[in-house]
Amino acid sequence: MFKSLITTVILICFIQDTASAQQNQSLPIDSSRTQFSSILGRTTFGGYGNAFYSRDNKNEYASVNLERFVLLVTHKFNNKITLFSELEVEDAKVEGGKEGGEIALEQFYLKFDLNPSTYLVAGLFIPRIGILSEDHLPTQIFGNERNQVETKVLPATWREIGAGIYGKLNRLPISFSACIVNGLNSENFEHGTGIREGRAEGRTASANNLAIQGSVQYYKGNFKAQISGYYGGTVGLVPREADSLQLTSGAFGTPVMITEANIQYFSKGFSGKILGAMISIPEASDINRAYANNTPETETGGYIEVAYNFFANNVKLKSKALHAFVRYETLNLNSNIPGNGIIDHTLDQQHIVTGINYLPNPNVVVKMDVRFQHTGNQNPDLLINPSPTAPKYYTDNSFFNLGIGVAF
Amino acid sequence: MQRRAFIKSGCVLALATGCGVVLSSVSGCSPGIIYKTGIIENKIAVPLTLFSNGKLQIIRPAGMQFDIALRKEDDTTYSSFLMRCTHAENQLLSTGTGFTCALHGSVFNADGSVTKGPAEYPLKKYRTEVIEENIIIHLN
Repeated sequence: MFKSLITTVILICFIQDTASAQQNQSLPIDSSRTQFSSILGRTTFGGYGNAFYSRDNKNEYASVNLERFVLLVTHKFNNKITLFSELEVEDAKVEGGKEGGEIALEQFYLKFDLNPSTYLVAGLFIPRIGILSEDHLPTQIFGNERNQVETKVLPATWREIGAGIYGKLNRLPISFSACIVNGLNSENFEHGTGIREGRAEGRTASANNLAIQGSVQYYKGNFKAQISGYYGGTVGLVPREADSLQLTSGAFGTPVMITEANIQYFSKGFSGKILGAMISIPEASDINRAYANNTPETETGGYIEVAYNFFANNVKLKSKALHAFVRYETLNLNSNIPGNGIIDHTLDQQHIVTGINYLPNPNVVVKMDVRFQHTGNQNPDLLINPSPTAPKYYTDNSFFNLGIGVAF
Repeated sequence: MQRRAFIKSGCVLALATGCGVVLSSVSGCSPGIIYKTGIIENKIAVPLTLFSNGKLQIIRPAGMQFDIALRKEDDTTYSSFLMRCTHAENQLLSTGTGFTCALHGSVFNADGSVTKGPAEYPLKKYRTEVIEENIIIHLN
């Protein structure tokens, strides 16, 4: 079944490429066309993916992985209503009964255009928090790995089901978003992974608890600034069950609050980004009492990244790019813990990532980078029945990554 | 205490954004107010006076799904682009120095060329001419 689906997709892509090539022969430059004016008319295709080799230098272990391939399908029902979807395969394959791999809908939502600058969305979508929520294509990010702060503190490509409004102001260079989505599930929080495991991502989420999220983006010349926030309940139980666990239920009961701000700068091949994020869970002690998952009260993270494209000002090489970058990240997934929590210093981390992104084509990238990692020591109280064959934990380690990525 | 710290930091960030808004309002680099107009015989007329304080004007023709960006060039000619991303046909946002798409992150220069993918094709461009006190955008 899956094989025939892939065959069909490849066939459609081949026919589309052939049609495009024929168009290109007769119309050398047609600036009116869009990328996916496909043979299917109102249905368009796109995608992205990446694979990389990674070596853990201290533990002398290396791996290669096709991290993800995402197929984008868009269908325009009319000039006002469009369906956007993204189907993702992680780690190349999913096998029944075995760990690893994932097939998931990353997005599936309807977009209703109110006017050329304002639209509504409804379905499974990624609320605008952080930078990676909108810029997560492998050709757009530096390094083979997504940055640690927007992976561990702010879960990258965090999508939930709900509805929202996106728009921009007419008088000022400001865009905004506001949405309401299903909330997190604090029962699924896991020590060391922040709020990541509490996401439903579209699968049978409780709608008893909800979250509101909003963002404001401001443009000034080559600068782009954003502030975003999230406030949502984490207990979707019915009151009787919540009472028995001494948890506050309801739409915004036992809340998680997120504040994030970032500034980006782009000019003449130079780019810079700075981001800060904080997650606050004021009733973390209640969650720990109910579920014993060592939920922290506060998580914090931030990074600064600078990069330069050596080909940016070279007319002959303008269609290519060679970026050198360096990024410093600091994060702590247990900045504050409640009285019934156990501190884990390994979650207090600093990372320095440096490397190059070479793009022989704007949508094809070859990446090489090194990530230096420093963490605190392990807490013996958290080492329960440690395996004698477990690899030694190093507070200082480095990782070498080499990979490829595409977007189209 | 944590809730107080959260509110405090949120207020600081909101204040910073507010300062940015004030700064932008005194800037002449940003696009002006959207100019709403109609289409007559596939042409749009835009008064030259709209460019007295800036080089970029966003036009919203009645009945069109996308806005049009009209830019005054250094040689006093005018360029116009359809603000539709050539990747997945999403609306674009004018940043003052170019255009960006919030859907997949494509970025276009002020001249409509792609500076960051996944878009591969430049923005649709319309022919313009100046007749008396108006700039005429030809949609066909």
